[in-house]
Amino acid sequence: MKISDTVVGAGFVAAGALIIAGTLNYPSLDGGAPGPSLFPRILGALMAAFGGLVGAKGLRNRDTTEDVEWLLLHKNTAFINAMFVLGGVAAYILLVERVGFLLVGALLLFVIMWRLKVPTLKAAVVAVVFTGIVHFLFAKIMRVPLPLGILWW
Amino acid sequence: MIDHIWAALVMLASWKLMLTITICSVYGLFVGAVPGLTATMAAALLVPFTFFMDPLPALVAIVTMEAMAIFAGDIPAALVRIPGTPSSAAYTDDSYELTKQGKAELVLGVDVVTSAIGGLMGAVVLMTSAPLLAEVALTFTSFEYFWLAALGLSATVMIASTDPLKAGLALLVGLFFSTVGLDITLGYPRFTFGSIELLNGVDFIPAMIGLFGVSEILRNMGSSHLQYPITSVKAESIFKGVAKTLWKYKTNMVRSGAIGTFIGILPGAGADIAAWIAYAASKRFSKEPELYGKGAIEPIVDAGTANNACLAGDWVPALVFGIPGDSITAIVIGVLFMKGLRPGPMIFEQQPELVYAVYFSFIIANILMVPFGYLAIKVSGTMLKVPRNILMPAILMFCIVGSFAINNSFFDVGLMLAMGILGYFFENNGIPVAPIVLGMVLGPIVEQNFMVSMIKSDWDLFQFFTRPTAAILAGLTILTWLAPFIPTILRRFRSAAA
Repeated sequence: MKISDTVVGAGFVAAGALIIAGTLNYPSLDGGAPGPSLFPRILGALMAAFGGLVGAKGLRNRDTTEDVEWLLLHKNTAFINAMFVLGGVAAYILLVERVGFLLVGALLLFVIMWRLKVPTLKAAVVAVVFTGIVHFLFAKIMRVPLPLGILWW
Repeated sequence: MIDHIWAALVMLASWKLMLTITICSVYGLFVGAVPGLTATMAAALLVPFTFFMDPLPALVAIVTMEAMAIFAGDIPAALVRIPGTPSSAAYTDDSYELTKQGKAELVLGVDVVTSAIGGLMGAVVLMTSAPLLAEVALTFTSFEYFWLAALGLSATVMIASTDPLKAGLALLVGLFFSTVGLDITLGYPRFTFGSIELLNGVDFIPAMIGLFGVSEILRNMGSSHLQYPITSVKAESIFKGVAKTLWKYKTNMVRSGAIGTFIGILPGAGADIAAWIAYAASKRFSKEPELYGKGAIEPIVDAGTANNACLAGDWVPALVFGIPGDSITAIVIGVLFMKGLRPGPMIFEQQPELVYAVYFSFIIANILMVPFGYLAIKVSGTMLKVPRNILMPAILMFCIVGSFAINNSFFDVGLMLAMGILGYFFENNGIPVAPIVLGMVLGPIVEQNFMVSMIKSDWDLFQFFTRPTAAILAGLTILTWLAPFIPTILRRFRSAAA
């Protein structure tokens, strides 16, 4: 998913401006010397400047095929697969404490593998076995408190 | 002294310690080789176990684990273009490009041998001249630290390849992330948006897992067949051609061993920074700098030596002065306190055999690295036979659990996800992600030393150039920025003269 350098550059100019704006209410040191705001402001200014240069470069070498890519995103398998991964991790974060690592982890693995065209039975077996291994390594050996959820061990 | 050395050797000769070394070697290799798990995380997870150990096995466990993990981080870097630890990030692209060219065995062979050699070089420096070198580092003031960090930042931009502008943007993003949390001058919360988790800043490890792990997974979602190119790694062939390669770059190894050890001795700078600086130095001195990032073996020799040499260096200020050389030695200091030992000059007088045993454990770990590394490569090679549509979700699972394991926090998993999206977006738009990580590591060092220097010099910028070492480091930093323009300037002078 590539977007034009002009847009990227403009985004960084905006981000730099936002960083500076975010520091406007920061306190100063005794005697009025800049304190917590100094370093972020320098970074914000540099980010805006670098972003401006990237944007200007993008304007000179404009590639119109990037605009078409955006229109075809809904047909882009890679993009849809990536959305499955992102959505899956987001769902994991929301559900894991209540339902537990073993169930949510296995479900996450199964859904992503199924989406990536792993045969259903194979995906189910791998998801369950692999989640069990990860649970054993982290929860049992490394003592990481993975959520138990509705399971008791 | 001989008595102390003998006592240390006797302590190390126990079967319990050998068992500890073996288990921690396997643990380190596993953690390092699995993308998303870092040596720092492994060290932190070791702490509860060390609680039940005597001081020596506790320290030896950490030494062995970190040496193995830093090497093992090279394995996924070469095989799947995901550095196992941040220390392998500098040369990941070169390693992976060489693997794509069918030279995976050579890369992995060079990785394991340079790691062992680098580790031994660092150990020798630690043993022989540690106090002296530590004194040199301790003469540094905030001015020198500022310039040293600035030099690291400059090198990051200049080695980040084809587009310094975009590399600079990535670095600025990393530096911005480093400003999140309580500031160092007034303790004022910056860019926390009311989040308690962000008060301590953006955690480096979930960010790294997201930037390098999740973004790689997302990028792989586009592959039609969803399998890695078939690259069978013949572990028995990994040492073929290594001696010739290392002989060719023997000077590089000496230089990078010195760089790595020196960076290690500097408080706060760890193996990842050593690798980046060695990479930058390598590129500067190379006869073929244009090949860097496209599959050159030379930077792998350099950075692979430096990151392992750095580990022993990191222990110098930790043991001698109680100042951590990196995040792992910060944990080591915590372990020493837990055992009722106060790191500092007195430990050399009160527990000399312990100090010598730590020295020797570095040597043992680095010698064992070759056979253990060979076995790790032999096992990890099978990873490529796992179909990508199974491997990627599996790596995602390690990324999720690895991020969670740092602070047992789901916020960190969310942070990992956000960083993954950022890394995916950046890479797709030609913006390198590695400088973000460097910005995050060096940001606090730059800001803290800049602010301290400004305040103590009463806001006189000239003071940054008055101390000799600071002036040299400043000159090197400026030279790094000017380096790409120097050939052009020289050409113009020559054509004008002609």
